Amino acid sequence: MIWLSLKTLRHRKAAFAGAFAALLCAAALVCACLMLLETGLRGTVSPERYAGTPVLVAGDQNVRVTIDKGDKTKVKAKPLAERVWIPAELAAGLRKAPGVERVVTEVTFPVAGGFVGHGWESAALTPFTIAAGRAPSAAGEVVVDAASGLGVGSELAGHRVVGVTAQALPSRRTVFFSTDEARTLARPGMLTAIGVFPAGVDVAKAVAGKALVYTGDERGAIEFLGAENARVKLISLGGALTGTSLLVAILVVVGTFALSIQQRQRELALMRAVAATPGQVRKLLGGEALMVSLAAGLPGAGLGIGLGFWLRSKFVELGAMPANLELVLSPFPAVAAVLATMLAAWAAARVSAHRTARIRPVEALGEAAIERGGLPWARLGAGVACAGGGVALTIVLSTLQVEAASSPVTMLTALLWCVAVTLLGPPLARLAVAVLSVPLRASRVGGHLATRNLRASSRRMSSVISPVSLMVAMTCTILFVQTTMGHAAEQEAAAGTRAALVVTGAPAAAVREVPGVSAVTEVLRTSVRIGLDKYGTQGLNPDPRTVDLDVTTGSLKGFGPGSVALSRVAAARLEAKVGDKIAITLGDGTPVSVTVAAIYARGLGFAELTLAHDLVVKHVDNPMGTLLVAGDAAVVTETLKTALPQATVLPSAEAWEKAGAQNAEINYVAMGLIIAFTAIAVVNTLAMSTADRSRELALLRLVGTTRRQVMGMLRMETLSSVLVAVVSGSLIALVTLAAFGAGMTGSAIPHVPPLTYAAVVAAVTALALLATVLPARLALRERPAEALGARE
Amino acid sequence: MTDVVRLEAVSKVYGKGQGAVAALREVSVAIPSGSFTAVMGPSGSGKSTFLHCAAGLDVPSSGSVRLGGTELSGLSENRLTELRRQRIGFVFQSFNLVGSLTVLENITLPLRLAGAKADRGWLEEVVRRVGLEGRTGHRPAQLSGGQQQRVAIARALVTRPEVVFGDEPTGALDTMTARDVLRLLREVVEGMGQTVVMVTHDPVAASYADTVLFLADGRIVDSMTAPTSDKVAERMTRLGAWTR
Repeated sequence: MIWLSLKTLRHRKAAFAGAFAALLCAAALVCACLMLLETGLRGTVSPERYAGTPVLVAGDQNVRVTIDKGDKTKVKAKPLAERVWIPAELAAGLRKAPGVERVVTEVTFPVAGGFVGHGWESAALTPFTIAAGRAPSAAGEVVVDAASGLGVGSELAGHRVVGVTAQALPSRRTVFFSTDEARTLARPGMLTAIGVFPAGVDVAKAVAGKALVYTGDERGAIEFLGAENARVKLISLGGALTGTSLLVAILVVVGTFALSIQQRQRELALMRAVAATPGQVRKLLGGEALMVSLAAGLPGAGLGIGLGFWLRSKFVELGAMPANLELVLSPFPAVAAVLATMLAAWAAARVSAHRTARIRPVEALGEAAIERGGLPWARLGAGVACAGGGVALTIVLSTLQVEAASSPVTMLTALLWCVAVTLLGPPLARLAVAVLSVPLRASRVGGHLATRNLRASSRRMSSVISPVSLMVAMTCTILFVQTTMGHAAEQEAAAGTRAALVVTGAPAAAVREVPGVSAVTEVLRTSVRIGLDKYGTQGLNPDPRTVDLDVTTGSLKGFGPGSVALSRVAAARLEAKVGDKIAITLGDGTPVSVTVAAIYARGLGFAELTLAHDLVVKHVDNPMGTLLVAGDAAVVTETLKTALPQATVLPSAEAWEKAGAQNAEINYVAMGLIIAFTAIAVVNTLAMSTADRSRELALLRLVGTTRRQVMGMLRMETLSSVLVAVVSGSLIALVTLAAFGAGMTGSAIPHVPPLTYAAVVAAVTALALLATVLPARLALRERPAEALGARE
Repeated sequence: MTDVVRLEAVSKVYGKGQGAVAALREVSVAIPSGSFTAVMGPSGSGKSTFLHCAAGLDVPSSGSVRLGGTELSGLSENRLTELRRQRIGFVFQSFNLVGSLTVLENITLPLRLAGAKADRGWLEEVVRRVGLEGRTGHRPAQLSGGQQQRVAIARALVTRPEVVFGDEPTGALDTMTARDVLRLLREVVEGMGQTVVMVTHDPVAASYADTVLFLADGRIVDSMTAPTSDKVAERMTRLGAWTR
């Protein structure tokens, strides 16, 4: 059948343009998402700081839990949020290990001004060498790197610069203290890493159980822990995006194919009558789909590579991905994207062709001219099944209280509802037309014709409705999931913050001294693991003057390093109550056992877990937290400005808004692509559907309908379709968001900014009108008699 | 002469229960080999249903249809398709051709779908007989209506079918072109011994046939041999009077 597919493609280029465009975008989107996913799975960061040491001994950055599966056990590992330190005694053991020539120990700690501090003992790990001045030998002396812009004799964080190195790291500024002072500034008796020389020496046995050995690019993963976390995030983000875009692609492509097959029903019916078996018609359509998708998939994948680079640069800009985590380039995403596109197209063609191919040729010859009324049982059944699935997923979603689980299910729920609406489109369209015909009658010509047309071809109307409602549903879900979450968190944070100001970049002790300040609470953000599950955690010493977590049971009195407070959601997840003992793995891998002191309501605005600041501060990389400052806002802002000019001071309400914005932006960028894709599908479908009607429009012109009346009719048809689509799309989004809200925020009422919603509806309407009016203009430009005379 | 097509007590009912409409009622007829038969009747008389049932395009509600020695009832859609492309030729009123294929490709479409090779000599003869020499490379859109029907006739003949069915083959043509096409069909019967069954409502078209069957209300109510257009028209007028 390939020859026939090829012939048809060549002859009906225009008819396949829509499918081609949809498939091209699908391939580009899938390819870009897969690039992110692959980078997440296989991406590496080359070491900078540790480039000069062949073998690196450092802590195990994973929490490992052995899971007993009856006959066999499996060790599962999850990454930790903070750097894991190793005991200093390990160095002594390593020095004695066979084959070891040299051991270099290192400590790492943050220094004001964005510098990373080390002791001079570890300069050899890069290696750093002195270009000017000398090495630091006493407390109060530092050596800065070549890119710092400081010279010998200048001052940094209360230390005198005695030397400048010849080197600098591309990703960060380094400062070296004297070895002894560095040890006191870091954690006593602990190291961040040990460099071992020469290359190839096997020290695994010497450190067994206490640390791990890293070589090659593994050293980069230890150096840039942030890159590791970003990598893990990319896996889930890339996976979710790939899945969503594939599903959306299939939905869009099915729509496009269905329309193009509907348009050539007569030709297919003729083939069936003359000589083609149902299987041959299916093969013909499948072959066309494969060829179009191959032709679209190849350039699409090429575009996708560009899109992948653009996405990466956007993510880097937004801080979701470190600049030194390079995209992994391999043929896999492009090949997979082309194959996925071909598969989607083939499946779409098969679905659309199913009915055409099975139909008896006589029915087909008859049906080609007028639409058949009934909906096939299979489609009806599938539609009802999808709606049932939608109900089930909605119920599941309303019980999900963790974002990691909730986000993908939210998208899936919205998509499943969209599929149900697509499948049940024709009866929905008929129902809508019955309702809409009443107001449409107000317009005698355009409105009358529009209702007649809509009523006569509910299938065409439904093929327009489904992409538009998909676009509305996806856009609203994506946008308003963020606003709902953000709004709920903001509300809780605002309600729970007693402090007037949020200060960063200043030590707590200094702020306490500032006149007008009545209380200061230091807040550290980290994450801990209980078992393998991650919990967002704040470290703070509760003070009713600055923070009110809204404790529901228990009390925060006497809250100390041995206590933990749980949000209601976390308590439910852990099935814990006040007085229970919980084993927690802190961010740096340190296990602690703490007692539940209280359960609080404002988990969304603050954190799932609250630990004492005194406990957390010893186990985070950056002990400089955010300060909640109580006191008269206006007065304190002024006094702080004069006393601590380097500090950033924000009224607390503003500070919360900013915190939520970054995460939302990343989602907007990624999901924005899917929205853009659905927008292209909308334009595509409408333009196809209008262009196909040029004969009908010409006929209307010939019998005396004015151009204005024809355009009026088309506008009204489009607006009716858009109205139905906006209603169904909004309902889908509303149901999904309500379920999402019920689970995540405890309230089924989503936060929908009216202006944003109005903008979405306006954009969709404008897009749909444009996609109708432009092709119609083109069609009407032709002289009606000629358009009618043109053979099919 | 043997019978190529034989219908025995064929009925076709559309719909179910109260809304059921009988399009054919117990029709029995035999079409002899090498004959040119026209089926006439007013609108709604069941002509098209008759043709569809006889040609295996539709399945009768009851009764038996035999093509040559083959009983059509109970055949699967795939078997029916194979039978149509090997043993039956079709000429429809319009939309007869696949727009993306050339004249020659349209003519050989049934062969290619069957995976068979065209007999070059036979193909050339068919093309010559329908008067399309020199136009085999054209696309349907470049041909006139009459020429398009000639291509359809050539396609119907290329598989050497046992019978060619025409569903108003001249319905969309002007009088002069229609006459040419009818002459061609007549020639096909006389010169090639082909059996042709044609549904029409045009007495002039019917006058080219050997036999005219008159259908009314789903039944064969009359037949006429050696028809002329006047006689057919007169019979039709009376038929119209009966049915009203």
